[in-house]
Amino acid sequence: MNARAVTSDVLLGIAPIALLIAVWQAIASFGYAPATLLPPPGVVLMRLAQQLTNTTFQHEIAATLFRLFAGFSIAVILGVTIGLIAAAIPAINAVVRPIVRVLAPLPKVALYPALLLLLGFGHESKITLVAADALFPILLSTYYGASMVEQKLIWSAMAAGTPRRQILFKVVLPAAVPSILTGCRIGLVISCIVVFLAEMITSTEGLGHLLVTAARTFQAVDMFVPLITISLLGLILNGLLQGLRSYLLRGFPEV
Amino acid sequence: MIEIDRVSHVFQTSGRQNHLALSEISLTIENGAFVSILGPSGCGKSTLLYIVGGFVSPTKGVAKVRGKAITGPGPDRGPVFQEFALFPWKSVLGNVAYGPRQQGVKHAEAEAQSRRLIEMVGLRGFEHFYPKELSGGMKQRVALARTLAYHPAVLLMDEPFGALDAHTRTRLQNDLLNIWERDRKTVLFVTHSVDEAVFLSDKVVVMTRSPGRIKQVVNINLARPRRRAELLLDPRYQKYVVEIERMIDDTSEDKLQP
Amino acid sequence: MISGHALISRLAPLLACLGLLGVWQVAALILSTDSFPTALEALRAIPSILGDKESLINILASIRRMAIGFGVAIMVSIPLGLMMGRSRGVASFFNPLLMVTYPVPKAALMPIIMLWLGVGEVAKILVIFLGVSLPVIYHSFQGAKAVEEKMLWSGAAMGLSAMQRMTRIVLPAALPEILTGCRTGLVLALITMVTSEMIARQSGAGNILFNSLDMGQYDTVYAMIIIIGAMGIGLDAAFEKLRSRLVRWSEPGFDIPLSFA
Repeated sequence: MNARAVTSDVLLGIAPIALLIAVWQAIASFGYAPATLLPPPGVVLMRLAQQLTNTTFQHEIAATLFRLFAGFSIAVILGVTIGLIAAAIPAINAVVRPIVRVLAPLPKVALYPALLLLLGFGHESKITLVAADALFPILLSTYYGASMVEQKLIWSAMAAGTPRRQILFKVVLPAAVPSILTGCRIGLVISCIVVFLAEMITSTEGLGHLLVTAARTFQAVDMFVPLITISLLGLILNGLLQGLRSYLLRGFPEV
Repeated sequence: MIEIDRVSHVFQTSGRQNHLALSEISLTIENGAFVSILGPSGCGKSTLLYIVGGFVSPTKGVAKVRGKAITGPGPDRGPVFQEFALFPWKSVLGNVAYGPRQQGVKHAEAEAQSRRLIEMVGLRGFEHFYPKELSGGMKQRVALARTLAYHPAVLLMDEPFGALDAHTRTRLQNDLLNIWERDRKTVLFVTHSVDEAVFLSDKVVVMTRSPGRIKQVVNINLARPRRRAELLLDPRYQKYVVEIERMIDDTSEDKLQP
Repeated sequence: MISGHALISRLAPLLACLGLLGVWQVAALILSTDSFPTALEALRAIPSILGDKESLINILASIRRMAIGFGVAIMVSIPLGLMMGRSRGVASFFNPLLMVTYPVPKAALMPIIMLWLGVGEVAKILVIFLGVSLPVIYHSFQGAKAVEEKMLWSGAAMGLSAMQRMTRIVLPAALPEILTGCRTGLVLALITMVTSEMIARQSGAGNILFNSLDMGQYDTVYAMIIIIGAMGIGLDAAFEKLRSRLVRWSEPGFDIPLSFA
């Protein structure tokens, strides 16, 4: 793609967002909505900047991030492990497959009250919920990637002298990495969403909790700030994951 | 070197039906011989190769290499596949060094060996490229280098040039022969191209269409080293091609009623 | 006569359900705390919930909201996704907007939307609409994009207009992918509905869930979880049946979709 096409694409892409912000500003300025319900974008951005330098706010971000990462990491470790083993061993597959089919469409958020009862109202219940929600896309994409590995790759490695028990780690896992990373990307977005929602439902700290607190006191500006923050966090984390993906997949053909 | 004794193979297709791919194949391949297996599509020639490679177990009969029955794949029989099957997460150097590293060769030595091989197949300078950055012909060269790297006694080549354009194919055929001349490994070469089989081999095993049987084994008495330009004008070469083509035509009659 | 093997694989999900319930039962008996009733106790509480008129109305209202939100969403999202798939301009325009809103939890917009629109039906349906739209647009987009150019050329050569090509070639060709998006959207509709009710706490299944939590009626809590879980599984299974019937001609894809939550 030449430079011109890229810039026109970028401009075209920014257009709706800029348009949205412009409409937002217009509604606020022309008084179509009171400032208490829809604060102007400028006010929100200023408050956001202010909060980002505030240590209490940073503490809240830290709480949210901690739960997010903990849950996501558990989901990755469990998901990749189970996905690989299920792909490699048909007996395990026969057990795992129907369980996943039953649990996948179940709204895990419905389990949240049970988790609260069993694990309390602190970090553990949130982390578990995040892990439960992020687990399935990662597990499924790992399983999918591992079962689709080209047979000839495995044969080539075996002919080169790779013993059977090493094939899973030396061939299947690396070959499945593109698929695993796609699943991780979905899992990461889900983690961001779920941690925020869980904090909104019941929590004593975290970004979601801030939104709900602001809602109860009708502070519209303070409602927007955590929402924008989690979206930005999601974008940043997604960007980082994409970067990691580009690095790890530098040898793979474009999918 | 390789003994194939009354090997038959049956496939179970998805419809729970049985498909007889190979029927009572018996063949002996001498040490250092370049043998082509030639036949129409679906005659089971690749299956035969996979059986010798140990990737597939025959439903009947036994294949032996150096007197021992084949039970699985191993570095004594190195495959080169039509799809290249290079490891996309490794560079050219990483791919070629895989075999030696697997054998326990130390990192530095494996790298040095690999560089020599990469140069031999004409890819010097490409060591750190990834397979996706290479053309088809280059990928096949890497695949060949990767297999040669672990010094197999037998080379099993499954239509290795089938995915390449005609020009690249003839170049690689030449290069293959040049490399082969060096240490004269035993080669089992599957192809559906008659002139490729005649050009490369000492013996051509002509197979019938499914279920595959050996129709005839033709000894190719043409001097080595073989040069394409000379051979194309050589009447003995032409005679081989015509005769074998006629054999194939016979075997692959499509029962289309006129 | 179905072979034994096929019978087991048909029953496998059912066996899995029973297995999970069994594990629950055993774990609850071992832990033996008030806050973790056994599976049987929870199951026994279900009839009383469904029998209670108020709860039943609540649950049915939830389902109604979900249906409306889902219905409106697909009516809007599928055409939009299809257009994005065939027109680079349209795609470039909407894509960034969608990518930015993708990580935003739609249910999290509940308080804000409630602030603007009050606590009525509209607010809840709107949130569900937003939640469902994204995956449906995305999958319609991908499905339309993947339609072979040559198929459309053949259509044009046959004299089909642009609109006809869209409805008679692109739509059917992209249908498998669209339906995958709808399946994800359906799951998300349920999740968004339950979550927004948990946050807004006005009425509905999510509200019943947390009310009983607050009041210490633990059996009811777990019973509701089973009900909501059954709704999710049931909807998904029903939709999958519908989907496979509609697109019987397509390649057998991977049968468990990468559900979004």
